[in-house]
Amino acid sequence: MENELRQKAKELLESGQAKTVIGYEAGTAPFKSAPCFAQTPDDAQRLVWNPMCVNNLAVYLPSAVKQGKVAVVVKPCDAKSVVELLKEHQIERGDVTVISVPCPGVLNLDALAEIDLRDVRSVEWRDGGIAVKTESGEVVIPSEKAFAEKCLSCELGNPEIADIKLGEQPARQPIQSEKMSLEEYQKLSPPERRAFWGRQFAKCIRCYACRQACPGCYCAECFVDKPGQMWVMRATDPNTNWFFHMTRAMHTAGRCIGCGECERACPMGIPLSLLNMKLDEDVEEMFDYEAGGDAEALPALASYEAKDPDPCPE
Amino acid sequence: MSTKIIAKKDISGWLKGLAGKYEIIAPVTEDGVTRFSRLSRDPAEAGKPVSDYSAIDLGPTPARMGLREQFTPVTETLFEYEVSGQSAELKDVEHPTKDRLIFGARACDAAALRYVDAVYSNAEPRDTLYFDRREHTALVGVFCNQPDWSCFCTEVGDFLTKPIMMDAYLTDIGDKYYAEALTPKGEELLSSPEFQAATDADKQATEKIRTEVAGQLPKPVDHAAKSVSYDWEHPIWVKLAEKCLGCGACAFLCPTCHCFDMMERAHGSKGSRYRCWDTCQFEKFTLMGAGHNPRPSKTERTRQRVFHKFKYSPERYEMLGCVGCGRCIAACPVNIDIREVVHELEEKAPEKVGA
Repeated sequence: MENELRQKAKELLESGQAKTVIGYEAGTAPFKSAPCFAQTPDDAQRLVWNPMCVNNLAVYLPSAVKQGKVAVVVKPCDAKSVVELLKEHQIERGDVTVISVPCPGVLNLDALAEIDLRDVRSVEWRDGGIAVKTESGEVVIPSEKAFAEKCLSCELGNPEIADIKLGEQPARQPIQSEKMSLEEYQKLSPPERRAFWGRQFAKCIRCYACRQACPGCYCAECFVDKPGQMWVMRATDPNTNWFFHMTRAMHTAGRCIGCGECERACPMGIPLSLLNMKLDEDVEEMFDYEAGGDAEALPALASYEAKDPDPCPE
Repeated sequence: MSTKIIAKKDISGWLKGLAGKYEIIAPVTEDGVTRFSRLSRDPAEAGKPVSDYSAIDLGPTPARMGLREQFTPVTETLFEYEVSGQSAELKDVEHPTKDRLIFGARACDAAALRYVDAVYSNAEPRDTLYFDRREHTALVGVFCNQPDWSCFCTEVGDFLTKPIMMDAYLTDIGDKYYAEALTPKGEELLSSPEFQAATDADKQATEKIRTEVAGQLPKPVDHAAKSVSYDWEHPIWVKLAEKCLGCGACAFLCPTCHCFDMMERAHGSKGSRYRCWDTCQFEKFTLMGAGHNPRPSKTERTRQRVFHKFKYSPERYEMLGCVGCGRCIAACPVNIDIREVVHELEEKAPEKVGA
């Protein structure tokens, strides 16, 4: 798989079809990978595909295409970002070669909490879970503990947008997560939800890591950064934290594809993807639209159809 | 200075005994994230429960955020104002400072205070809000029996085994802690009845674990000396800029970071001025009023972070701006590892630089 990936990347670079191949390379620890920007055949040899390839590389596309044509390695979830970026005209189809890789699920680093990470030697997919080799032996972590939250409910197949498909996406069975699910969240009453988010946003330090990690947040100037207009204070007062998060949630409503990078980037552990996924579900219900699905469907909040729900009573 | 021991089961009792005099702050884990939290209430705060000290989480992983927010809150109101006609009335905001005991800090967190003290007292006016809190804070540190994969404090200093900026240092030696008083305040803290004199065996057990752990960590490197020849045009800056998301997590979790912005909450003629944490990793950090930005891309901003910590700080304060806590490494969503950056800068640097 990795050899094929490197070979394809080399071909794309040599033929000039891509100036940069954005993929993953080994990180600075055996349980980490890092984004790789391969521009030469030598660079391409560094490309990897393993359980640590968590990042949604689509976040780099809007700026990367300005430097020249790119190829990007995507998991089925990441591919949905590419679809949405195309719809929103942040990238042109001809500028991006999409390379899809078959994904059993990616590592949730918290699953290694019981292991002294300094002892880890390798991390590999194994029998529906993840095998971690350490100094003292090997431990196989079952998928419900090993995989990222988003992987547990994933039933995605091969991405239709892929130009190059490096293998068949394995069929997945959804797995119950231990963390609060969208279903459980929806059972909360409005006052309970308010209390829940009040507690979560109290942790927020307004570092904007969530925004920076999000492929959907590509605005040249974010609403929070307008120096002359101050729509929202930079202060971490409870009401301003709410305002930031609620507004960002509204800005990504129906556009979020559930990559979970916002939550992964958040240094304070706020379960942001729950908020974004809730709004996505609302949009799906109201407008019969799912982000990253049909490449031809117009974004729900950027188009009008007569059958759109009308909140105003007759 | 005294060396004592305290049974682990007696830590809660010790802290409860001090809760009348001090506000107790210690690491607590909530939803998987460990952060220093207030654990006791001032007896004057009626109706608020005194917390459960068994919730204190001493690791092995250090708290996600260091001590920065204990001395400079993320948001801090400076004063209030009301404008009428051509004049304005300014009103100081009360910043009541109670005595606090921060328990469970790591050697790196404490060492960072030496640096931030230097920065905030570098010029007049001194940051009195910060120093007020510093003066009202007692600090009891704990040794790291199991460093994190991202720890490299021994590379940048020897405070792990020779702690600074704290009043007492506890080392886990099984079912008890070996406690060393480092200041008169520390002596006072360790004079509680829960502490007994340490035996030679206790001392040996402590030395054993400390030597063992220090041996697992990197050897010291004179980064300050080597940073003299760091290359402004090194290709690594462009490489980092490619993958850096500009998320700011590195800076917001960093115990030596200290930059802040000042803004106002204005409502008509009334308002308040506050300061809030800021970072050179934000695009608009260096945006000038006339529109020029000397750090317009991540190339400049990633370089700034490393140069500030490893080069400008030694030049200015004669100490590194990095305590090797590794939080930036652990937090970075794209695996930018400052150890690797610095090593690469130093490998390519010439061996000797002029006097």
